[in-house]
This record gives sequence, C-alpha cells and structure tokens, in this order.
Amino acid sequence: MSVKRKGPKATAIRVLTYVVLVAVAAIVIFPFVVAVSTSFKRPTDIFTYPPSLVPKQDVTVPADQVGTDGDPVPVFTFPGRDDRPGEWALVDADAPLAEFRPLDDLERIIVLDAAAGERTGATITIDGEEEDVFLVDDGGTQVEAYRSRLTSGGLFVSVDDPDTSVLDLVNFATPSKEFGPRFENFSEVLAERDPETNGKGVGRSLTNTVLVTILVVLGQIITSILGGYAFARVQFRGRSTVFLMYLGSVMIPFVVLIIPLFQLMLQLNWRDNLVALIIPFTFTAYGTFLMRQFFLGIPAEIEEAALLDGASRSTILWKVMVPLARPAIATLATFGFLYAWNSFFWPLVIINSGNPDNAVLSLTLSTLGGRSSTDTNLVFAGAILAMTPPILVFLFAQRYFVENSASSGLK
Amino acid sequence: MAAVTFTNITKRYKDGPKAVDDLNLQIADGEFMVLVGPSGCGKSTALRMIAGLEEISDGTLAIGERVVNDVPPGDRDIAMVFQNYALYPHMTVRQNIGFALEVAKVKKDEINRRVDDAAEMLGLTEYLDRLPKALSGGQRQRVAMGRAIVRSPQVFLMDEPLSNLDAKLRVQMRSDIIQLQARLGTTMVYVTHDQVEAMTMGHRVAVMRKGVLQQVAPPQELYLRPANLFVAAFIGSPAMNLVTADVTVEGDDVFCSFGGHRLRISPKALDRYPGLRGRHGTKVILGIRPEHFAMEEDLELPADQVLTFRCELAEAMGAEVHIHAVIDVAPPTVDGAPTTAEDDPEALVTGTKVIARVDGIHTVAMGQDVRLAVKTHLTHFFDPTSGEPLR
Ligand SMILES: Nc1ncnc2c1ncn2[C@@H]1O[C@H](COP(=O)(O)OP(=O)(O)OP(=O)(O)O)[C@@H](O)[C@H]1O
Ligand SMILES: [Mg+2]
Repeated sequence: MSVKRKGPKATAIRVLTYVVLVAVAAIVIFPFVVAVSTSFKRPTDIFTYPPSLVPKQDVTVPADQVGTDGDPVPVFTFPGRDDRPGEWALVDADAPLAEFRPLDDLERIIVLDAAAGERTGATITIDGEEEDVFLVDDGGTQVEAYRSRLTSGGLFVSVDDPDTSVLDLVNFATPSKEFGPRFENFSEVLAERDPETNGKGVGRSLTNTVLVTILVVLGQIITSILGGYAFARVQFRGRSTVFLMYLGSVMIPFVVLIIPLFQLMLQLNWRDNLVALIIPFTFTAYGTFLMRQFFLGIPAEIEEAALLDGASRSTILWKVMVPLARPAIATLATFGFLYAWNSFFWPLVIINSGNPDNAVLSLTLSTLGGRSSTDTNLVFAGAILAMTPPILVFLFAQRYFVENSASSGLK
Repeated sequence: MAAVTFTNITKRYKDGPKAVDDLNLQIADGEFMVLVGPSGCGKSTALRMIAGLEEISDGTLAIGERVVNDVPPGDRDIAMVFQNYALYPHMTVRQNIGFALEVAKVKKDEINRRVDDAAEMLGLTEYLDRLPKALSGGQRQRVAMGRAIVRSPQVFLMDEPLSNLDAKLRVQMRSDIIQLQARLGTTMVYVTHDQVEAMTMGHRVAVMRKGVLQQVAPPQELYLRPANLFVAAFIGSPAMNLVTADVTVEGDDVFCSFGGHRLRISPKALDRYPGLRGRHGTKVILGIRPEHFAMEEDLELPADQVLTFRCELAEAMGAEVHIHAVIDVAPPTVDGAPTTAEDDPEALVTGTKVIARVDGIHTVAMGQDVRLAVKTHLTHFFDPTSGEPLR
C-alpha cells in the first residue's frame, strides 16, 4: 500500500468519496437485488404492501399440536385485540358463523358460532328490514343484538393453549409470516414445458445455450490462437494483405449479413438447428487480432529459445505461447461467452418459434416474459438463471485481467 | 563437443548491406571464442547463424564434421543464452531447465536428476520451484545457463549474457562462466561488445567490423600486435592514442613530428615496425597506449622522448591519473572504433585528444604543463590510408 495523505480534511474527503461510491453502488445493484428476491417469492408475495425484499411464507404449526389432523395449519395473530394475545392456528377456514351487531352500538360486530344466541322474540327494523333480536354472549356479558349475517369464517385455536378457540372472520386476522424462499420457482421454470405442472422448459434451453456457448467459445479460442499465431509469427506471402482483409470484416455490421447467412443456412439445411448458432460464430476477426497482438508482444527470444530446445512449432505454440497468452485467452473467452450467451437476434431468426426443443435461453426467456407474465416470480427465476453464469465467468476471468495488467511491467 | 567452422559465410538481409561478409573462422573443439566489435558489426548475426536462427546466404557452416546450413536449430545440438535470458515466464526454474529434456522425451527421473545436477552446479537448488519473475537478474542469468548446460550440448552460444547485470555481478558471473566452461570443456562462442569481457574471457578473440572479420588472436596478442588500425583503436580502454605524424628519418634515427611536438622513436620499435624506415617524409598514424606515458620524473628518458602537454583535464582514479591533453593536429578517423574524432566531433577542428595514464601519486592541476616521457619502443605505426600496420 502506498503512503496516504493524512489530516482531517483528507479524512473528510475520503469519507465523502466512500459515501458517494457506496450510494452509487447501492443504486446500481438495487434492481439486481429485487430480481433475486422476486425469483424466490411466492406469487402471492410479490405485490404485497408494504413491499418487502425478503421472500416470505405463512407460519404453520403441525396439525396435531392444535388438536386436528392433516396438513400443517397456518398461524394468525389478532393485532389490537388484547383479549386474544399470542398466535392462533386456523384449524378450519370454513366454519359456519354468525355476525351479530349489538343494538346499543350497531357499528360493532360480534362474531359467534352460527348456532349461538337465543331469540328474545322481539324484532327491530334495520334499513327497512325486520330483524329478530337475539341475546348473545359478548365476552361474558349478555347483550341484545341482531344477526346481521350468516357466513363462514375461521375457527382459530390458540397455539399456546389448544383448548381455547375463537371464531372470527379470517380477514380480521393477520397471517403470521416468516422468511421462506420458494425454491420451487427454479425447479418449475427449469422443468419440461408442461402447463399441468407449470413447467416452463427453461432447462432444455439452458442446456442448448450452454452447449452452443461452450462450442462457440472453444471454437473461437482455437481459431483465434491458430490464426493469431500465423499472422504474428509465420512468414507467408500476402500475410499482411490477408490479415487486413480479415480484420476489415469487423467493419461489416451483422444486420447486413443476416439475409445471406440465412440463405446459406437454408442451403446447408441448418435452419432450426443449433449448428447454425455455432459454426458461423467460431471464427472471429476480433479474437484473431487480439491473439496476434498478444503473440507479437511476446519476445521472439522466448520462441527462439524453445526452438533451440528442440521444440517443434506446435510444441512451441501449445506449451510456450498459449500458456503465456492466458490473459488474452481469458479476455477472448469472456467476450465470446457473453456474445454467445446473450445472442438473441440470430437465434430468433434461425430457430423456429414452434420448435422449443432447439430454443436457446434468450428466446425462451422472451416468451416467458411475454406470454405468461403472470408468473412474475418464474420470469425472474429464469432471468436469474440466465444471469448467473455470466457473473461467475466474470468473477473467474477477472483474476486473469488483473494478472495481465500486473505482469505487463515484467520482462 | 565439437569445432565450429565458418567457411566463406555471408549473410545478406533483404534490405541492407551484408551483415556478415565472407567470414572464415575456425573455432576449435573446447575453445572459448569471443566475438567482439562495435554495435551493428554482425556479431549477433554470426552467432545466430550458428544457432540456425538466421538463414545463411552463402558459404558453409560446419559443427564438428557436419555441415549444418540446412539443419533446423533444434537438431544442431547447441544451446544458447540470450541477452534478456528468454526464460519461459510461466514455468518454474525446474521446468525451464528441464524443458529441452522434456521435449526430447527423456524419462522423468532422468530429467529430475540432470536438472538437480545443473542446479547444484549453478547454486540454484533452493530456487527450483520459483517462477522467473521471483528471481533476481543474476539468478535468471544462471537459470538461462542451467537451461544450456543441462543438455550437454556440442556448443554453447552466448549473446551478451551479462549486459543486463550490474557491474559487480558482471565480474562475478564473468569468472563463473570462465570456470564453468573450463570445467565442462564445451566449445563456447561468446558475443560481447565489452572489451574487458573479451580480453578476460576468451581463449581467442575475433574482432569484427561491419561484418568483416578483422583479427582472430589470443587477447594478449590482440592488444600487443593489432592487425590493423581498427583493432588498435578498438581494443584497450582508454583507447590507444592515435596521432597523425610526419616521419623524418635521419640516419639510424626516426622522428615523428605532430602539432609542434617532435619525438624520437626508439630503435626497438623499428624492430617491430620495420616498415617505418621507408616512410621518410610521409604521414603515418602513431599509436601510443595511454599507459606508455609516464611522468618525466618516474621514467628517465632523453629529452627527445619527452613531450610537454597542457593538461586539459586530470582524472584521479586512485591508482593512476588520467591526463587529458590536446595535440594541435587533425585526428585520424577510424570508422566504427571509439576514436577522438567520433567521440567528440568538435575535436576535429581543435585537434587530437590524447590520454596519458600516469602513476596515481602525482597531483596534476588543470591548465598545468606536464612533461610526459614516452616509452617509444612500445609505440605502434599504421598507414593512414589503408590502416595497415607498418610491419
Ligand atoms: N532482421 C534484420 N533485418 C535486416 N537487417 C538486420 C536484421 N538483423 C540485423 N540486421 C542488421 O545487420 C547488422 C548486424 O546486426 P547484428 O545484430 O549482428 O549486430 P551486433 O553486432 O550484434 O550489434 P549489437 O552489439 O548492437 O548487438 C546491423 O547493421 C543490423 O542493422
Ligand atoms: Mg547483438
């Protein structure tokens, strides 16, 4: 570490710098965080208010703990009801119940069993309807009330004391939530395309993309190494002309090539075939140029030394030059990877949309987001799946980029 | 081990004059041959032709009995050490040294054994697992040598291997290389432009200039009997003082006059340069080595062998003092050699610079007149146009 400026002013500047940097980093990373969090959420959890970055699920207790059987039972609380402290398990969401309104306070609702209350025989007219008056139990005292509604609601059993139970409308209770990522998002999005199981077929596309990407990157590395080495070190007639022409092909925009390339693919019968995504992209003028420049920078003496050591051209290339060119190869591989992984337009042109088996990730994701955009969590899960490999590649390749700039000062 | 024989070797690069011109040179089996000469004289080219890194335009090159003109470098059984070491940066010291053996498909334990031996010999044992970038310059140099010796080649080639090292290390490595070569007895061709290296290391030294071989001789002979003006001017540091002088022969005595000075030449010099006698009334180039001057009080000589100079600059080196003076006569030019004219174009107008090395006990002030006795029996004489010695 180098010597740093000291003093309060320098400290203030440094603190300010970091604050700004952290703020910018937070802003930049926020959409990514939202995507990650959404990809783990339940569909019901996505549009809740207030929004939360943490994927949540309902708290449950085992059925036998609250005196029933079957699936685990969701837990609720009654905020603001001091007479109902603690947690309550909803053992029956469809219990018949009745709403009573005391005559002295028609706004208040007393929820009781549907069979509760005794008719006093009296009646009362509410909003032009004649209603029977009941005598009901309101927390220990008997009050006069009329039955405003017969409905079904929840039967809640206290988690702490399973003998205590209350009846209430379910939406009067607040479901207890806890941290609960939904990993099924990923398995569903990966699963074979099937409306029954909600499978989205991304797994197949992912496999295709991985295959295409690996082959494209390998092809690019091999052709660039061979071409770059030839242009850098092998003497042959017309070398610089050929090189300039090859390099000049970088100037031709891809859109110009789409139609001729498409026709060529038709002729070769490669339409709708993954080969069409691989072969045309295994040659890269940019990569060849990159490797050539790197090889030119390696001192000729190293090669001559290897020549004197008895190494053949191919031994020199693969045992001496290529290991030395690792930073350049990492750069090339990273760019090739990103290009192949993210390419969308050419697959869209050449892979028929009715052929999901040969679709690549970018295509599948676009249909996933377009047609079934109700499954927001699944769209995000797919997006995260598509994003992860490039991020990992970058983290891995970064080492080489750093190594590259660090070793460039050496002889 | 093998001899290396150049027969009428010429090297022409596509654009340019001949880098090596009709070179004939026999390097004996086990000999330590130094190629020396000014920059661009073709020493590296000659060396690289032995290595097979440069095509030979003309002539035949033999290593041992075998003509190798068309043999690829890897099959010549030679090893080369480059100026910048040319280590494989991604390999450890062990892998660097063992690479040639690995390429030759030698068995693993055999490789290890030989690498260990070489490392031991060069004091590299503790660095075997390091990468070159974690080594000092001297250690890298030794790795490069280890890479050469591990194969026990027929010939070692070294192209200015010490020029990237600091002065002290250079002295150390110089003696290491001498000892190594003596121990292994392998033929060595060593390129340098440093004449101290040339003089101290070689069994014989080949002086080149503009692609042409000037003289091949043991170092001492090169110094004492230079084959021409170029060799005289090139070998020695500080260089030999060369002055254009008028010759007068008066009976048995020969006098050289230059810039108002007149010097009687000892008859012993005439034994070595009998041609001088016939030069009455013509100009010759007189060569006096700086150490062949002495302060008059140190060396009692007749007054006609003493010169009086105005000291322009005195460099006290401790053991000796270098007195710089100027003689009022146009300096000779020797193309490619470090003469006055080349060092200092202004001297062309003002005169010939001379340097005298006298004993360090003297204190000489700038501007002071000094009387310097000349060991005239050790002087040299050359023809001013051809540069040939007047033997
Ligand atoms: N590849 C080349 N193409 C053209 N000319 C060359 C080439 N290599 C060397 N030369 C020329 O050949 C001549 C001899 O070069 P060489 O490298 O042998 O000199 P050198 O004696 O080793 O000099 P130095 O002490 O500077 O290394 C020089 O004039 C140089 O310009
Ligand atoms: Mg050279």
